[in-house]
Amino acid sequence: MAADHTHEHDADDGAVHSHVASVQFYVGIFLTLVCLTVLTVKVSYYDFGEANIAIAMLIATMKAGLVATFFMHLAHDKLFNTLAFISAFLFLSVFIMLTYDDLGRRGQVDWVYGGTVDPRTGLAAPGGMPATSATIDDVEGEAPGAGGGNEKGAAPNEPKGEAPKGEKKE
Amino acid sequence: MANVTEAADPQPSGHDDHGHAHAHPSFLAHHFDTPVQQFNAAKLGMWVFIATEILMFGGLFCAYAIWRGLEPDIFDQAHHFLNKIMGATNTVVLLFSSLTAALAVRSSQLGKRTETSIYLIVTILCACVFLVVKYFEYTHKMHLGLLPGHCFGHPWFSGAIENGKEVGTCLRVHADGPTGSPLWVRAVDESGHTRLLPPRANMFFALYFVMTGLHAVHVLIGMSILGWVLYRNMKGEFSKEYFTAVDLGALYWHLVDLVWIYLFPLLYLVGKPE
Repeated sequence: MAADHTHEHDADDGAVHSHVASVQFYVGIFLTLVCLTVLTVKVSYYDFGEANIAIAMLIATMKAGLVATFFMHLAHDKLFNTLAFISAFLFLSVFIMLTYDDLGRRGQVDWVYGGTVDPRTGLAAPGGMPATSATIDDVEGEAPGAGGGNEKGAAPNEPKGEAPKGEKKE
Repeated sequence: MANVTEAADPQPSGHDDHGHAHAHPSFLAHHFDTPVQQFNAAKLGMWVFIATEILMFGGLFCAYAIWRGLEPDIFDQAHHFLNKIMGATNTVVLLFSSLTAALAVRSSQLGKRTETSIYLIVTILCACVFLVVKYFEYTHKMHLGLLPGHCFGHPWFSGAIENGKEVGTCLRVHADGPTGSPLWVRAVDESGHTRLLPPRANMFFALYFVMTGLHAVHVLIGMSILGWVLYRNMKGEFSKEYFTAVDLGALYWHLVDLVWIYLFPLLYLVGKPE
């Protein structure tokens, strides 16, 4: 009955006819993925400022796309499965953006004390993180054998809200 | 008499009310009309499950986005304690295991049973390698005192010695409150610099341990699933016509790979370079 259509999806003989790719094809995809991994590690040794995370995420998404499309067979699968997969990212982005918009506006983190502070009032921001940390003076005073002066990555002495960039350069 | 004839037929002609004759093989559950209907239903179910898995990890990615947005500098300092080379090695190991999982499905599609078994075994071995590398990474973090929450810089780890060198010191400083003194951690990072991490840097390591820990749990579950698929394959349950479990088991394994593809750059790579 359906002998002419056996290579099409859902050929109505009722048997499963899935696409079979060659071994060389899968190995090619794997080698591309390894190259992208090497690339993302190499790129991480250069500083592009704010673009660092964008570049890393772009390469990761390219890798994820290759895995989903070919290793997970989405290219030859039903479109509805792809939609189910993509919808997860859609809902995830709604989740992250709304939460980020809420929590990201609850004040700025005070570099020294660690809590979130409302920049308009200078007081602890409602719903923000509580202040927990001690200052660097305490550390220098009590540290066993402290005063090496090698902790430029640590907090500055005065509570400035945010540390100037120059002080943290190694 | 008609009943006797039908029972003796090795391939009964299926449901008469469907009007077309096809085999009703043993792997076909009675509520499905055809193998392809069963296969497509199983695949859709798996993809919906994968979507829920992504959303489960999504909560952690959300926490990551907010924490990183609030304190990029702490993130930048703390990420220097992660070893890029070990992370990259694990990425390649997982990618290779994904390749062998895809090849296992391919062999199964072609009805090559022994080949499928070999590819599945290689995949499971790669998962073991991944967990061993993770073990060394976790142990080193613990020696430095870089643990989440109240364990961060716990005095128990103070002055950890590795290969005759002190790698981490915990500093007890004044508390804002009467209990729970915050501890700063002075430790040697992956490029050999001594860094002083403030107490709230424990959030980075909380994210690191929970995200990679949940992922490692998925690796363990994936290994069990692939082991079960391997057992069934060796028993000869799969054929060209029926390889659903191999396909879905491999899909789960690819999901483990997908999550790691994002975890690796987010945790190991996104800070400022030295």
